[in-house]
Amino acid sequence: MGTGTDGPVVEVRELTKKYGRFVALDGLSFTLDRGRILGFIGPNGAGKTTAIKILVGLARPTSGTALVAGVDCAARPRHLKHLIGYMPDVFGAYDNMRVGEYLDFFGAAFGIGRRARAARIGEVLELVRAPHFKDLFVESLSHGMRQRVALARTLLHDPAVLILDEPANGLDPPARIEMRQLLLDLAARGKTLIVTSHILPELARICDRVAIVARGKLRALGTLDEIAQQLNPLRTMEVLVSRAEGVARAAEIVERHTGAPPETAAAELAVRFRTADADAKLSGLLAELVAAGAGVVQFREVQTDLEEAFMTAARAGEAEAAATGAAKGGAE
Amino acid sequence: MIPIVRRELLEFLRGRAASGALVALAAASVALVLLRWPTGEAVDLSGARGAQVLRVFGYGLLAAVVFVMPAFPATAVVREKVNGTLALLLNTPLSITAIYFGKLGGALACAALIFVVTAPAAAACHALGGPPSSGGVGALYAVLALAALQLATLALLISSRSNSAETALRATYAFVLAVVLLPLIPFWLLEGSRGVGADVAGVARALSPVPAVLEVLGQGGSGRGLSASDGAVVPYLVAALLSSFAFALATVARLARNPLDRARPAGVMTQDRSGRGRLLRRLLFLIDPQRRSGSTSLLFNPVLVKELRTRRFGRSHWSLRLVALCAILSLALSYLAASGALSWGAGAIGGGLVLLQSALLILFVPSLASGLISAEREGKTWQLLRATPLSAGKILRGKLLSVIWPLLLLLCGTIPGYVVMAAIEPEQFARAQRTVACLGALAAFAVVASAAVGSLFRATAAATAAAYLVVVGTCLGPLLVWLGRDAPFGFAAVESALAVSPLAAALVAADTPGFAGYDVLPTNWYVTGSASVALLVLLAARVRQLYRPE
Repeated sequence: MGTGTDGPVVEVRELTKKYGRFVALDGLSFTLDRGRILGFIGPNGAGKTTAIKILVGLARPTSGTALVAGVDCAARPRHLKHLIGYMPDVFGAYDNMRVGEYLDFFGAAFGIGRRARAARIGEVLELVRAPHFKDLFVESLSHGMRQRVALARTLLHDPAVLILDEPANGLDPPARIEMRQLLLDLAARGKTLIVTSHILPELARICDRVAIVARGKLRALGTLDEIAQQLNPLRTMEVLVSRAEGVARAAEIVERHTGAPPETAAAELAVRFRTADADAKLSGLLAELVAAGAGVVQFREVQTDLEEAFMTAARAGEAEAAATGAAKGGAE
Repeated sequence: MIPIVRRELLEFLRGRAASGALVALAAASVALVLLRWPTGEAVDLSGARGAQVLRVFGYGLLAAVVFVMPAFPATAVVREKVNGTLALLLNTPLSITAIYFGKLGGALACAALIFVVTAPAAAACHALGGPPSSGGVGALYAVLALAALQLATLALLISSRSNSAETALRATYAFVLAVVLLPLIPFWLLEGSRGVGADVAGVARALSPVPAVLEVLGQGGSGRGLSASDGAVVPYLVAALLSSFAFALATVARLARNPLDRARPAGVMTQDRSGRGRLLRRLLFLIDPQRRSGSTSLLFNPVLVKELRTRRFGRSHWSLRLVALCAILSLALSYLAASGALSWGAGAIGGGLVLLQSALLILFVPSLASGLISAEREGKTWQLLRATPLSAGKILRGKLLSVIWPLLLLLCGTIPGYVVMAAIEPEQFARAQRTVACLGALAAFAVVASAAVGSLFRATAAATAAAYLVVVGTCLGPLLVWLGRDAPFGFAAVESALAVSPLAAALVAADTPGFAGYDVLPTNWYVTGSASVALLVLLAARVRQLYRPE
């Protein structure tokens, strides 16, 4: 189903959800273009599920708006369901049904005609590389097989946007690689994906953009590089030396240069430090290390990975919560 | 073992509904005794008052053991399996037998609680004038405890072999029916005759706790086919212990083998067979279970089709077998009605038919309808349904129709009996019409009440137990008052109570002996109709509430 709109397919503006006095989601905003994959991550209880529920029309926001292909999620939830394919983190099996019948039920629920449905079931099973599952009983499927059937169920009505909650959860490495490739294929076909996962290296490999939420607030949004910049403006540099004596010598030079003691890892023959210096200034440091005979074999920038960004965002959320708690305690 | 018993019991008691039900049960039993407590100068030397109260009381407890208690052991193992905690439990140093007896202990502790809260009232009955039979109050509790053991072991066996709580509950109540009521039918049919068949029927009767309870309550000689003069308590004691042991052994063996293995071979699909194989299956099967199902037509409610497909007996080939069984049953009933009409009288035949249909309705409907919503919520499929464009109304209609369809089959199976009755005595036609209308009202009430009450709970076991409590309480509760007619209850009180029960109304409409003098129609139709409409509104509101965005 095409969206028929230009510009962002998903638009979330100042989305807030409160349960009594508890703020589950606090002013979440982001946009996502067609054919893009957004990694939606955060610690447990961060507000991811609440945001997803609002996007799929299962929850109503306290304030703010969420639009999918121009359709307001709160105002027209039934129309929205044709636009979104939702794969929750639990499979939801029905006993005594074969996979073909299971998919047939959901196809009928989405109002797909009989002939089109039969053809579509074959297509989606091919797409998730599970055409031979059709006659198996749903209750006898393994976890990995269920994930594929769940994805097939999500794709049945050809939605413009897929919201997948932990799609790689419980999969073995080959199945995970297949799932990754599958999600990239779907994005290449023009589907817009929002994917949550706790397996951060997996997300880092497939996502165009990442949104990190903690304590209901959006802590970072953008590409991995942009997030690294947002969360940590200092670059992490690493000096590798060829012998143990060189570690102390290199650390001494780096400290003199940056004004702070660096982190040393004697076993790895490495010295790491954070700096805001530009490349020109760092080349001077490298020249000094080489001249001092520290035995430098590598001098490089360490890329901030998603796990580190995630931990930084989670810590920021915790610190904010602690500060809010302390302020409340003081006021009382 | 003890930690498991404690956990099971705490889980049961933690629910406010369970605590409320226990308090209500204690209050009702005390009220019953107070009603007949001697006042003024009157003293009952014969002990008749104590016996009257104890009878009402005993049948109530038997109903609780048969209808409410099995819901908990029925889901005890399967719930752990579905939640993944059975694997954790099997990984602890606890042995399989310790886990099993822990589960059994938890179920029996629930039954024991019911006995404990009613014990003071039973003691008061004893003080009122002594026991109605030699065993007395102690014998009543012993028989009920045995029944609880027998049904709990049976429910645990089914639970260990099921893959979902809903399936386990349905199967358990079907087997409870098989153990409690079915053994009585052959004895009832062959009563007075001699031969191997009659002997086998006599032995089979010992499996049911009903004759033993009747005997203990001093009504051993009454009730056609339910009891005999040769004593029912000892045979039941032996049969219950033996069957419980067999059920326990089978469950432990099942748990020891591989309880987590959910493999279910798909079999070869008929379309994938050779031409000869396809032809052979076409000749052997009217509806081939191994043929790939066609796509659901959009003219049908997809939820209805889904519900029928997820039930083993809801599948077309099983439905066909059920229709065939119903046809055979109706032919048999027609034969019985025609051959016995002169000696039994139309009232007795009508009463028998009403009791048969009502027993089927009361036993099957709560197990089918109570989990309509709670099973989806417990199985985490409710949010999948909500994520589809199906409206709350369409989901509800599909679910209700999936219960009404098998009920129609069951009811139609016994209709020919009424037709024969009306043919023998044409003036009975209006009576047969009234009776069928009452049974229709009973079916409608049972469906709506079970679905509405079940929708209030998240756990299917609690939903089923609560649904049985409501349906059995409404249908059979007033019959307990009827059992105490003349004493302790007067005519007006009995008539008022019967006006509430749709089952009693059907018995009155069929001019069943003992019910003929009461005038409860059309009052009962108004009461049942109003209650059904109110419950339907409650159900619709509840489904809408659960369906709408949070």
